[in-house]
Amino acid sequence: MKLVAITVVFIVVLFVVAYTVLAERRILGFIQGRLGPNRVGYGGVLQPFADLLKFILKEDIVPDKSTRFIYFLAPVIATMAALMTMIVYPFGPETTIPFINKTIPLVVARFDVGLLYVLGITSIGVYGIALAGWSSNNKYSLMGGLRSSAQMISYELALGMSLIGVLLLSGTLDLAAIVGLQSRWHGSSWFIFAQPLGFIIYLIAAIAETNRVPFDLPEAETELVAGFHTEYSAMKFALFFLAEYINMFTVSMLATTLFLGGWNVPFADALFGRGTFLFGLISVLGFLAKVIFFLFLYIWLRATLPRFRFDQLMSFGWKFLLPAAILNILLTATLIVVGVYGYFGY
Amino acid sequence: MLALLFILFAALAVGCALAVVAQRNPLYSAISLIGVFISLACLYVMLAAPFIAAVQVIVYAGAIMVLVVFVIMLLNVEHEDSRRTRVGFLLPAALVLAAVLIAEVAFILVSVDKASFPSSSSSDIGSTASIGSQLFTTYLLPFEITSILLLMAIVGAMTLARRARELSPNARVIPGAQLLAANIIDPSKALDDTTAIETDTVAEAAHLLGITSPRDPSKRD
Repeated sequence: MKLVAITVVFIVVLFVVAYTVLAERRILGFIQGRLGPNRVGYGGVLQPFADLLKFILKEDIVPDKSTRFIYFLAPVIATMAALMTMIVYPFGPETTIPFINKTIPLVVARFDVGLLYVLGITSIGVYGIALAGWSSNNKYSLMGGLRSSAQMISYELALGMSLIGVLLLSGTLDLAAIVGLQSRWHGSSWFIFAQPLGFIIYLIAAIAETNRVPFDLPEAETELVAGFHTEYSAMKFALFFLAEYINMFTVSMLATTLFLGGWNVPFADALFGRGTFLFGLISVLGFLAKVIFFLFLYIWLRATLPRFRFDQLMSFGWKFLLPAAILNILLTATLIVVGVYGYFGY
Repeated sequence: MLALLFILFAALAVGCALAVVAQRNPLYSAISLIGVFISLACLYVMLAAPFIAAVQVIVYAGAIMVLVVFVIMLLNVEHEDSRRTRVGFLLPAALVLAAVLIAEVAFILVSVDKASFPSSSSSDIGSTASIGSQLFTTYLLPFEITSILLLMAIVGAMTLARRARELSPNARVIPGAQLLAANIIDPSKALDDTTAIETDTVAEAAHLLGITSPRDPSKRD
Protein backbone atom coordinates (compact mmCIF):
# COMPACT_ATOMS: atom_id res chain seq x y z
CA MET A 1 0.00 0.00 0.00
CA LYS A 2 2.78 2.39 1.00
CA LEU A 3 4.81 1.37 -2.04
CA VAL A 4 1.85 2.18 -4.30
CA ALA A 5 1.47 5.57 -2.62
CA ILE A 6 5.19 6.32 -3.02
CA THR A 7 5.08 5.35 -6.70
CA VAL A 8 2.03 7.52 -7.35
CA VAL A 9 3.61 10.51 -5.57
CA PHE A 10 6.87 10.11 -7.51
CA ILE A 11 5.04 9.89 -10.84
CA VAL A 12 2.96 12.98 -10.05
CA VAL A 13 6.09 14.86 -8.94
CA LEU A 14 8.05 13.95 -12.07
CA PHE A 15 5.07 14.93 -14.22
CA VAL A 16 4.69 18.32 -12.51
CA VAL A 17 8.45 18.89 -12.73
CA ALA A 18 8.52 18.07 -16.45
CA TYR A 19 5.74 20.57 -17.08
CA THR A 20 7.41 23.17 -14.83
CA VAL A 21 10.34 23.10 -17.26
CA LEU A 22 7.99 23.59 -20.19
CA ALA A 23 6.09 26.34 -18.36
CA GLU A 24 9.37 28.06 -17.56
CA ARG A 25 10.43 28.06 -21.20
CA ARG A 26 7.04 29.28 -22.42
CA ILE A 27 6.61 31.98 -19.76
CA LEU A 28 10.20 33.20 -20.20
CA GLY A 29 9.47 33.34 -23.91
CA PHE A 30 6.35 35.47 -23.43
CA ILE A 31 8.12 37.81 -20.98
CA GLN A 32 10.97 38.27 -23.47
CA GLY A 33 8.59 38.92 -26.38
CA ARG A 34 8.94 35.55 -28.18
CA LEU A 35 6.89 32.37 -28.31
CA GLY A 36 9.01 29.65 -26.72
CA PRO A 37 8.77 25.96 -27.72
CA ASN A 38 5.33 25.40 -29.27
CA ARG A 39 5.93 22.84 -32.03
CA VAL A 40 5.77 19.43 -30.35
CA GLY A 41 2.12 18.57 -29.82
CA TYR A 42 -0.66 21.11 -29.42
CA GLY A 43 0.99 24.35 -28.21
CA GLY A 44 4.09 22.38 -27.16
CA VAL A 45 2.45 20.05 -24.61
CA LEU A 46 4.58 17.08 -25.69
CA GLN A 47 7.86 19.02 -25.44
CA PRO A 48 8.97 17.34 -22.12
CA PHE A 49 8.79 13.90 -23.77
CA ALA A 50 10.76 15.11 -26.77
CA ASP A 51 13.38 16.50 -24.36
CA LEU A 52 13.52 13.21 -22.49
CA LEU A 53 14.02 11.28 -25.72
CA LYS A 54 16.80 13.66 -26.69
CA PHE A 55 18.54 13.24 -23.31
CA ILE A 56 18.40 9.45 -23.61
CA LEU A 57 19.70 9.36 -27.19
CA LYS A 58 22.56 11.84 -26.71
CA GLU A 59 26.12 10.55 -26.43
CA ASP A 60 27.21 10.11 -22.83
CA ILE A 61 30.67 11.66 -22.52
CA VAL A 62 32.88 10.85 -19.53
CA PRO A 63 36.03 12.99 -19.16
CA ASP A 64 39.26 10.94 -19.26
CA LYS A 65 40.81 12.35 -16.10
CA SER A 66 37.67 12.26 -14.00
CA THR A 67 37.32 10.23 -10.80
CA ARG A 68 34.94 7.72 -12.34
CA PHE A 69 33.10 6.27 -9.38
CA ILE A 70 32.32 9.65 -7.81
CA TYR A 71 31.54 11.14 -11.21
CA PHE A 72 28.78 8.52 -11.62
CA LEU A 73 27.68 8.74 -7.98
CA ALA A 74 27.15 12.53 -7.84
CA PRO A 75 24.00 12.82 -10.03
CA VAL A 76 22.51 9.82 -8.21
CA ILE A 77 22.99 11.51 -4.81
CA ALA A 78 21.54 14.80 -6.09
CA THR A 79 18.40 13.17 -7.52
CA MET A 80 17.87 10.75 -4.63
CA ALA A 81 18.14 13.50 -2.02
CA ALA A 82 15.71 15.66 -3.99
CA LEU A 83 13.13 12.88 -4.39
CA MET A 84 13.33 11.50 -0.85
CA THR A 85 11.71 14.53 0.83
CA MET A 86 8.52 14.12 -1.21
CA ILE A 87 6.98 11.50 1.06
CA VAL A 88 6.38 13.59 4.20
CA TYR A 89 4.24 16.39 2.78
CA PRO A 90 0.52 16.15 3.56
CA PHE A 91 -1.17 17.14 0.30
CA GLY A 92 -4.74 16.69 1.49
CA PRO A 93 -6.95 15.96 4.53
CA GLU A 94 -8.28 12.56 5.57
CA THR A 95 -10.65 11.70 2.75
CA THR A 96 -13.21 8.99 2.16
CA ILE A 97 -12.68 7.49 -1.27
CA PRO A 98 -16.00 6.77 -3.02
CA PHE A 99 -16.90 3.21 -4.17
CA ILE A 100 -14.39 1.48 -1.84
CA ASN A 101 -15.55 3.52 1.19
CA LYS A 102 -12.20 3.72 2.93
CA THR A 103 -10.95 6.77 4.79
CA ILE A 104 -7.28 7.41 4.09
CA PRO A 105 -4.98 10.28 5.07
CA LEU A 106 -3.53 11.97 1.98
CA VAL A 107 0.10 11.76 3.09
CA VAL A 108 2.56 8.97 2.33
CA ALA A 109 4.40 8.86 5.65
CA ARG A 110 3.55 10.76 8.81
CA PHE A 111 6.68 11.45 10.85
CA ASP A 112 7.04 12.80 14.35
CA VAL A 113 9.99 14.84 13.07
CA GLY A 114 8.84 15.46 9.49
CA LEU A 115 10.35 18.94 9.27
CA LEU A 116 13.77 17.79 10.53
CA TYR A 117 13.67 14.94 8.04
CA VAL A 118 13.19 17.44 5.21
CA LEU A 119 16.07 19.64 6.44
CA GLY A 120 18.34 16.61 6.92
CA ILE A 121 17.76 15.17 3.46
CA THR A 122 18.19 18.62 1.90
CA SER A 123 21.58 18.95 3.57
CA ILE A 124 22.64 15.63 2.00
CA GLY A 125 21.90 17.12 -1.43
CA VAL A 126 24.97 19.36 -1.12
CA TYR A 127 27.21 16.33 -1.67
CA GLY A 128 25.78 15.68 -5.12
CA ILE A 129 26.89 19.12 -6.29
CA ALA A 130 30.22 19.29 -4.44
CA LEU A 131 31.30 15.84 -5.61
CA ALA A 132 30.17 16.52 -9.18
CA GLY A 133 32.35 19.62 -9.27
CA TRP A 134 35.36 17.86 -7.82
CA SER A 135 35.22 14.59 -9.75
CA SER A 136 34.91 16.26 -13.17
CA ASN A 137 38.54 17.41 -12.90
CA ASN A 138 37.73 20.76 -14.48
CA LYS A 139 38.47 24.14 -12.92
CA TYR A 140 35.08 25.61 -13.83
CA SER A 141 33.30 22.60 -12.38
CA LEU A 142 35.33 22.80 -9.18
CA MET A 143 34.68 26.53 -8.79
CA GLY A 144 30.97 25.98 -9.42
CA GLY A 145 30.82 23.09 -6.99
CA LEU A 146 32.61 25.02 -4.25
CA ARG A 147 30.50 28.12 -4.74
CA SER A 148 27.34 26.09 -4.72
CA SER A 149 28.20 24.19 -1.56
CA ALA A 150 29.32 27.36 0.23
CA GLN A 151 26.09 29.06 -0.77
CA MET A 152 23.88 26.16 0.26
CA ILE A 153 25.60 25.78 3.65
CA SER A 154 25.31 29.53 4.33
CA TYR A 155 21.66 29.85 3.41
CA GLU A 156 20.65 26.59 5.09
CA LEU A 157 21.17 28.37 8.43
CA ALA A 158 18.89 31.27 7.61
CA LEU A 159 16.37 28.83 6.14
CA GLY A 160 16.27 26.71 9.27
CA MET A 161 16.16 29.74 11.57
CA SER A 162 13.26 31.30 9.67
CA LEU A 163 11.16 28.21 10.36
CA ILE A 164 11.62 28.35 14.14
CA GLY A 165 8.95 31.07 14.48
CA VAL A 166 6.37 28.69 13.02
CA LEU A 167 7.61 25.91 15.30
CA LEU A 168 7.24 28.16 18.36
CA LEU A 169 3.63 28.83 17.39
CA SER A 170 2.74 25.25 16.49
CA GLY A 171 4.79 23.38 19.09
CA THR A 172 5.34 20.37 16.83
CA LEU A 173 7.64 19.17 14.04
CA ASP A 174 4.95 17.02 12.47
CA LEU A 175 3.98 18.60 9.16
CA ALA A 176 0.44 17.15 9.20
CA ALA A 177 -0.15 18.60 12.68
CA ILE A 178 1.18 22.00 11.57
CA VAL A 179 -1.27 22.01 8.65
CA GLY A 180 -4.04 20.93 11.04
CA LEU A 181 -3.33 23.95 13.24
CA GLN A 182 -3.90 26.23 10.25
CA SER A 183 -7.43 24.98 9.59
CA ARG A 184 -9.13 27.18 12.19
CA TRP A 185 -11.34 30.10 11.07
CA HIS A 186 -12.71 27.87 8.28
CA GLY A 187 -9.25 27.05 7.01
CA SER A 188 -7.76 30.53 6.88
CA SER A 189 -5.60 30.79 10.02
CA TRP A 190 -2.45 30.57 7.91
CA PHE A 191 0.88 31.12 9.62
CA ILE A 192 1.89 33.75 7.04
CA PHE A 193 -0.37 36.22 8.90
CA ALA A 194 1.45 35.47 12.16
CA GLN A 195 4.93 35.20 10.63
CA PRO A 196 5.26 37.70 7.76
CA LEU A 197 8.96 38.35 8.47
CA GLY A 198 9.70 34.63 8.78
CA PHE A 199 7.95 33.98 5.47
CA ILE A 200 9.98 36.60 3.59
CA ILE A 201 13.27 35.31 5.06
CA TYR A 202 12.28 31.74 4.19
CA LEU A 203 11.40 32.70 0.62
CA ILE A 204 14.74 34.45 0.00
CA ALA A 205 16.75 31.68 1.65
CA ALA A 206 14.82 29.03 -0.29
CA ILE A 207 15.59 30.67 -3.62
CA ALA A 208 19.28 30.79 -2.68
CA GLU A 209 19.16 27.21 -1.41
CA THR A 210 17.93 25.96 -4.78
CA ASN A 211 20.60 27.97 -6.66
CA ARG A 212 18.09 29.92 -8.72
CA VAL A 213 18.16 33.46 -10.11
CA PRO A 214 19.15 35.93 -8.61
CA PHE A 215 21.32 33.53 -6.57
CA ASP A 216 22.44 31.26 -9.43
CA LEU A 217 26.15 31.96 -8.92
CA PRO A 218 27.13 28.26 -9.13
CA GLU A 219 26.16 28.19 -12.79
CA ALA A 220 26.94 31.77 -13.75
CA GLU A 221 27.34 31.20 -17.50
CA THR A 222 29.42 34.30 -18.04
CA GLU A 223 32.09 33.19 -15.57
CA LEU A 224 31.90 29.43 -15.14
CA VAL A 225 30.59 27.96 -18.44
CA ALA A 226 27.89 25.91 -16.68
CA GLY A 227 29.25 25.51 -13.16
CA PHE A 228 29.38 22.11 -11.50
CA HIS A 229 27.71 20.26 -14.37
CA THR A 230 29.99 21.57 -17.14
CA GLU A 231 31.37 18.08 -17.87
CA TYR A 232 28.06 16.24 -17.61
CA SER A 233 26.09 15.29 -20.69
CA ALA A 234 23.06 13.23 -21.71
CA MET A 235 21.08 11.53 -18.94
CA LYS A 236 23.52 12.45 -16.16
CA PHE A 237 23.01 16.13 -16.96
CA ALA A 238 19.27 15.48 -17.07
CA LEU A 239 19.45 14.08 -13.53
CA PHE A 240 21.02 17.30 -12.22
CA PHE A 241 18.43 19.30 -14.11
CA LEU A 242 15.71 17.14 -12.59
CA ALA A 243 17.17 17.52 -9.09
CA GLU A 244 17.17 21.33 -9.42
CA TYR A 245 13.51 21.42 -10.40
CA ILE A 246 12.47 18.86 -7.79
CA ASN A 247 14.24 21.00 -5.18
CA MET A 248 12.23 24.01 -6.36
CA PHE A 249 9.12 21.90 -5.97
CA THR A 250 10.19 20.78 -2.48
CA VAL A 251 10.83 24.25 -1.09
CA SER A 252 7.55 25.44 -2.64
CA MET A 253 5.70 22.60 -0.91
CA LEU A 254 7.42 23.43 2.38
CA ALA A 255 6.46 27.11 2.05
CA THR A 256 2.88 26.09 1.32
CA THR A 257 2.75 23.63 4.21
CA LEU A 258 4.26 25.91 6.84
CA PHE A 259 3.07 29.38 5.84
CA LEU A 260 0.18 29.17 3.39
CA GLY A 261 -1.99 26.69 5.28
CA GLY A 262 -1.03 23.54 3.35
CA TRP A 263 -4.17 22.01 1.83
CA ASN A 264 -6.53 24.41 3.66
CA VAL A 265 -8.81 26.25 1.26
CA PRO A 266 -10.73 29.04 3.04
CA PHE A 267 -14.41 28.24 3.62
CA ALA A 268 -14.23 24.92 1.73
CA ASP A 269 -15.40 23.14 4.89
CA ALA A 270 -18.48 25.37 5.11
CA LEU A 271 -19.37 24.57 1.49
CA PHE A 272 -18.70 20.82 1.32
CA GLY A 273 -18.31 19.61 4.91
CA ARG A 274 -15.14 18.03 6.34
CA GLY A 275 -14.18 14.50 5.35
CA THR A 276 -16.26 14.35 2.16
CA PHE A 277 -14.66 13.40 -1.12
CA LEU A 278 -15.38 16.79 -2.69
CA PHE A 279 -13.71 18.55 0.26
CA GLY A 280 -10.65 16.34 -0.21
CA LEU A 281 -10.53 17.05 -3.93
CA ILE A 282 -10.81 20.82 -3.44
CA SER A 283 -8.10 20.68 -0.78
CA VAL A 284 -5.66 18.77 -2.99
CA LEU A 285 -6.32 21.20 -5.85
CA GLY A 286 -5.82 24.13 -3.47
CA PHE A 287 -2.48 22.66 -2.33
CA LEU A 288 -1.35 22.21 -5.93
CA ALA A 289 -2.46 25.76 -6.82
CA LYS A 290 -0.40 27.25 -4.00
CA VAL A 291 2.67 25.22 -4.99
CA ILE A 292 2.24 26.24 -8.63
CA PHE A 293 2.03 29.87 -7.52
CA PHE A 294 5.48 29.54 -5.93
CA LEU A 295 6.86 27.83 -9.03
CA PHE A 296 5.51 30.71 -11.13
CA LEU A 297 7.19 33.14 -8.72
CA TYR A 298 10.52 31.39 -9.41
CA ILE A 299 10.08 31.76 -13.17
CA TRP A 300 8.93 35.36 -12.83
CA LEU A 301 12.01 36.23 -10.73
CA ARG A 302 14.27 34.55 -13.26
CA ALA A 303 12.91 36.74 -16.01
CA THR A 304 13.13 39.90 -13.91
CA LEU A 305 16.24 40.03 -11.76
CA PRO A 306 19.96 40.20 -12.58
CA ARG A 307 22.51 38.04 -10.76
CA PHE A 308 24.25 38.87 -7.47
CA ARG A 309 28.02 39.11 -7.18
CA PHE A 310 29.50 36.35 -5.01
CA ASP A 311 30.75 38.58 -2.16
CA GLN A 312 27.37 40.38 -2.11
CA LEU A 313 25.67 37.02 -1.87
CA MET A 314 27.78 35.87 1.07
CA SER A 315 27.57 39.11 3.05
CA PHE A 316 23.81 39.29 2.42
CA GLY A 317 23.32 35.78 3.75
CA TRP A 318 25.50 36.07 6.84
CA LYS A 319 25.19 39.74 7.76
CA PHE A 320 21.55 40.42 6.93
CA LEU A 321 19.44 37.32 6.48
CA LEU A 322 20.75 35.33 9.47
CA PRO A 323 20.46 38.23 11.98
CA ALA A 324 16.99 38.99 10.62
CA ALA A 325 15.98 35.36 11.19
CA ILE A 326 17.31 35.46 14.78
CA LEU A 327 15.44 38.74 15.34
CA ASN A 328 12.29 37.02 14.09
CA ILE A 329 12.75 34.23 16.66
CA LEU A 330 13.19 36.76 19.50
CA LEU A 331 10.18 38.76 18.32
CA THR A 332 7.97 35.69 18.05
CA ALA A 333 9.01 34.39 21.47
CA THR A 334 8.35 37.80 23.06
CA LEU A 335 4.93 38.11 21.42
CA ILE A 336 3.99 34.61 22.60
CA VAL A 337 5.03 35.38 26.20
CA VAL A 338 3.24 38.74 26.19
CA GLY A 339 0.16 36.99 24.85
CA VAL A 340 -0.39 38.85 21.59
CA TYR A 341 -0.64 35.63 19.58
CA GLY A 342 -2.95 34.12 22.17
CA TYR A 343 -5.25 37.15 21.83
CA PHE A 344 -5.50 36.58 18.08
CA GLY A 345 -6.14 32.88 18.55
CA TYR A 346 -2.86 31.35 17.33
CA MET B 1 10.52 -7.31 8.58
CA LEU B 2 12.10 -5.18 11.30
CA ALA B 3 14.85 -7.77 11.79
CA LEU B 4 15.56 -7.78 8.05
CA LEU B 5 15.86 -3.99 8.01
CA PHE B 6 18.12 -4.12 11.06
CA ILE B 7 20.41 -6.65 9.37
CA LEU B 8 20.46 -4.53 6.20
CA PHE B 9 21.41 -1.27 7.91
CA ALA B 10 23.75 -2.90 10.42
CA ALA B 11 25.59 -4.62 7.59
CA LEU B 12 25.70 -1.34 5.69
CA ALA B 13 27.12 0.46 8.74
CA VAL B 14 29.80 -2.17 9.35
CA GLY B 15 30.67 -2.38 5.67
CA CYS B 16 31.01 1.39 5.32
CA ALA B 17 33.06 1.53 8.53
CA LEU B 18 35.46 -1.05 7.13
CA ALA B 19 35.66 0.92 3.89
CA VAL B 20 36.60 4.08 5.85
CA VAL B 21 39.76 2.37 7.06
CA ALA B 22 40.47 0.27 4.01
CA GLN B 23 40.16 2.93 1.31
CA ARG B 24 43.40 4.49 0.09
CA ASN B 25 41.73 7.56 -1.39
CA PRO B 26 40.79 9.95 1.47
CA LEU B 27 37.70 11.18 -0.36
CA TYR B 28 36.37 7.62 -0.63
CA SER B 29 36.96 7.23 3.09
CA ALA B 30 34.98 10.41 3.77
CA ILE B 31 32.08 9.23 1.60
CA SER B 32 32.09 5.86 3.38
CA LEU B 33 31.94 7.72 6.70
CA ILE B 34 28.83 9.56 5.47
CA GLY B 35 27.40 6.12 4.67
CA VAL B 36 28.12 5.01 8.26
CA PHE B 37 26.33 8.05 9.68
CA ILE B 38 23.27 7.58 7.49
CA SER B 39 23.01 3.85 8.31
CA LEU B 40 23.29 4.73 12.01
CA ALA B 41 20.46 7.25 11.57
CA CYS B 42 18.32 4.49 10.04
CA LEU B 43 19.09 2.27 13.06
CA TYR B 44 18.06 5.12 15.41
CA VAL B 45 14.72 5.40 13.59
CA MET B 46 14.14 1.70 14.18
CA LEU B 47 14.93 2.21 17.88
CA ALA B 48 12.07 4.75 18.05
CA ALA B 49 14.42 7.73 18.37
CA PRO B 50 13.51 9.78 15.27
CA PHE B 51 14.82 13.05 16.71
CA ILE B 52 18.30 11.63 17.32
CA ALA B 53 18.22 10.15 13.81
CA ALA B 54 17.34 13.50 12.21
CA VAL B 55 20.02 15.31 14.23
CA GLN B 56 22.54 12.63 13.29
CA VAL B 57 21.89 13.30 9.60
CA ILE B 58 21.73 17.11 9.89
CA VAL B 59 24.77 17.61 12.13
CA TYR B 60 27.14 14.76 11.24
CA ALA B 61 26.28 13.82 7.68
CA GLY B 62 25.09 17.28 6.61
CA ALA B 63 27.42 19.73 8.35
CA ILE B 64 30.60 18.14 9.72
CA MET B 65 31.26 15.82 6.81
CA VAL B 66 30.70 18.65 4.31
CA LEU B 67 33.63 20.43 5.94
CA VAL B 68 35.76 17.29 5.82
CA VAL B 69 34.95 16.74 2.14
CA PHE B 70 35.70 20.42 1.46
CA VAL B 71 39.13 20.19 3.08
CA ILE B 72 40.02 17.01 1.18
CA MET B 73 38.86 18.56 -2.10
CA LEU B 74 40.68 21.86 -1.58
CA LEU B 75 43.97 20.41 -0.31
CA ASN B 76 43.90 17.66 -2.96
CA VAL B 77 45.31 15.12 -0.51
CA GLU B 78 47.42 12.53 -2.34
CA HIS B 79 46.77 8.80 -2.28
CA GLU B 80 48.54 7.06 0.55
CA ASP B 81 50.35 4.33 -1.29
CA SER B 82 53.64 3.50 0.34
CA ARG B 83 53.00 4.67 3.88
CA ARG B 84 52.02 1.25 5.13
CA THR B 85 55.42 0.30 6.50
CA ARG B 86 55.76 3.39 8.65
CA VAL B 87 52.93 2.53 11.03
CA GLY B 88 54.24 -0.94 11.85
CA PHE B 89 55.21 0.03 15.38
CA LEU B 90 51.57 0.92 16.10
CA LEU B 91 50.48 -2.66 15.55
CA PRO B 92 50.78 -3.78 19.22
CA ALA B 93 48.85 -0.68 20.36
CA ALA B 94 46.12 -1.45 17.81
CA LEU B 95 45.88 -5.04 19.02
CA VAL B 96 45.55 -3.91 22.67
CA LEU B 97 42.85 -1.39 21.80
CA ALA B 98 40.99 -3.97 19.72
CA ALA B 99 41.12 -6.38 22.66
CA VAL B 100 39.68 -3.68 24.95
CA LEU B 101 36.89 -3.00 22.45
CA ILE B 102 36.01 -6.69 22.12
CA ALA B 103 36.01 -7.02 25.91
CA GLU B 104 33.61 -4.06 26.15
CA VAL B 105 31.24 -5.60 23.61
CA ALA B 106 31.40 -8.95 25.40
CA PHE B 107 30.65 -7.26 28.72
CA ILE B 108 27.61 -5.51 27.23
CA LEU B 109 26.38 -8.72 25.66
CA VAL B 110 26.67 -10.55 28.98
CA SER B 111 25.17 -7.83 31.15
CA VAL B 112 22.36 -6.83 28.80
CA ASP B 113 20.03 -9.48 30.23
CA LYS B 114 20.48 -8.25 33.80
CA ALA B 115 19.99 -4.54 33.07
CA SER B 116 16.63 -3.01 33.90
CA PHE B 117 14.99 -1.36 30.93
CA PRO B 118 12.64 1.61 31.24
CA SER B 119 9.08 0.32 31.12
CA SER B 120 7.68 0.22 27.62
CA SER B 121 4.79 2.47 28.66
CA SER B 122 7.05 5.56 28.55
CA SER B 123 7.17 5.44 24.78
CA ASP B 124 7.71 9.20 24.39
CA ILE B 125 11.30 8.81 25.60
CA GLY B 126 12.79 9.56 22.19
CA SER B 127 10.30 12.25 21.19
CA THR B 128 11.37 15.82 20.48
CA ALA B 129 9.30 17.30 23.30
CA SER B 130 10.71 15.02 26.00
CA ILE B 131 14.30 15.57 24.83
CA GLY B 132 13.75 19.34 24.80
CA SER B 133 12.21 19.52 28.26
CA GLN B 134 14.91 17.25 29.74
CA LEU B 135 17.63 19.34 28.09
CA PHE B 136 16.34 22.59 29.57
CA THR B 137 15.51 21.26 33.06
CA THR B 138 17.51 18.22 34.25
CA TYR B 139 20.54 18.71 32.01
CA LEU B 140 20.54 22.52 31.87
CA LEU B 141 24.06 22.94 33.29
CA PRO B 142 25.81 20.53 30.86
CA PHE B 143 23.82 22.11 28.03
CA GLU B 144 24.95 25.64 28.92
CA ILE B 145 28.56 24.52 29.43
CA THR B 146 28.53 22.89 25.99
CA SER B 147 27.19 26.03 24.37
CA ILE B 148 29.90 28.16 26.02
CA LEU B 149 32.50 25.64 24.84
CA LEU B 150 31.21 25.90 21.27
CA LEU B 151 31.23 29.71 21.46
CA MET B 152 34.84 29.60 22.63
CA ALA B 153 35.71 27.32 19.73
CA ILE B 154 34.16 29.77 17.25
CA VAL B 155 35.97 32.77 18.76
CA GLY B 156 39.21 30.81 18.87
CA ALA B 157 38.93 29.81 15.22
CA MET B 158 38.27 33.44 14.26
CA THR B 159 41.30 34.66 16.22
CA LEU B 160 43.57 32.04 14.68
CA ALA B 161 42.34 32.81 11.18
CA ARG B 162 42.65 36.57 11.56
CA ARG B 163 46.03 36.98 13.27
CA ALA B 164 48.82 38.70 11.33
CA ARG B 165 50.21 36.36 8.72
CA GLU B 166 53.88 35.72 8.14
CA LEU B 167 55.44 35.84 4.73
CA SER B 168 55.99 32.30 3.50
CA PRO B 169 59.64 31.35 2.81
CA ASN B 170 58.85 31.11 -0.90
CA ALA B 171 57.39 34.60 -1.11
CA ARG B 172 59.26 36.99 -3.38
CA VAL B 173 58.86 40.72 -3.10
CA ILE B 174 60.34 42.69 -5.95
CA PRO B 175 63.02 44.99 -4.48
CA GLY B 176 62.96 48.69 -5.10
CA ALA B 177 60.12 51.16 -5.39
CA GLN B 178 56.75 49.59 -5.95
CA LEU B 179 53.10 50.55 -6.07
CA LEU B 180 50.52 48.86 -3.90
CA ALA B 181 46.81 49.40 -4.36
CA ALA B 182 45.31 51.09 -1.34
CA ASN B 183 42.86 48.33 -0.55
CA ILE B 184 45.66 45.79 -0.13
CA ILE B 185 47.08 47.84 2.70
CA ASP B 186 43.81 48.89 4.24
CA PRO B 187 41.08 46.27 3.64
CA SER B 188 38.45 48.66 4.98
CA LYS B 189 38.87 50.73 1.82
CA ALA B 190 36.49 49.98 -1.00
CA LEU B 191 37.60 47.69 -3.82
CA ASP B 192 37.23 50.42 -6.38
CA ASP B 193 39.54 52.78 -4.47
CA THR B 194 42.65 52.52 -6.64
CA THR B 195 44.75 55.15 -4.93
CA ALA B 196 48.27 53.72 -5.11
CA ILE B 197 50.74 53.88 -2.24
CA GLU B 198 54.46 53.80 -2.90
CA THR B 199 56.97 51.82 -0.88
CA ASP B 200 60.71 51.50 -1.29
CA THR B 201 61.69 48.38 0.60
CA VAL B 202 60.30 44.93 1.23
CA ALA B 203 60.25 45.58 4.97
CA GLU B 204 58.26 48.76 4.50
CA ALA B 205 55.75 47.00 2.28
CA ALA B 206 55.47 44.17 4.75
CA HIS B 207 55.00 46.66 7.56
CA LEU B 208 52.23 48.45 5.67
CA LEU B 209 50.53 45.13 4.90
CA GLY B 210 50.62 44.22 8.58
CA ILE B 211 52.91 41.25 7.94
CA THR B 212 55.83 40.39 10.16
CA SER B 213 58.63 39.57 7.80
CA PRO B 214 60.59 36.51 8.91
CA ARG B 215 63.67 37.76 7.11
CA ASP B 216 66.36 39.94 8.55
CA PRO B 217 65.47 43.49 7.44
CA SER B 218 69.17 44.41 7.18
CA LYS B 219 69.82 41.63 4.64
CA ARG B 220 68.28 42.87 1.40
CA ASP B 221 67.42 40.35 -1.26
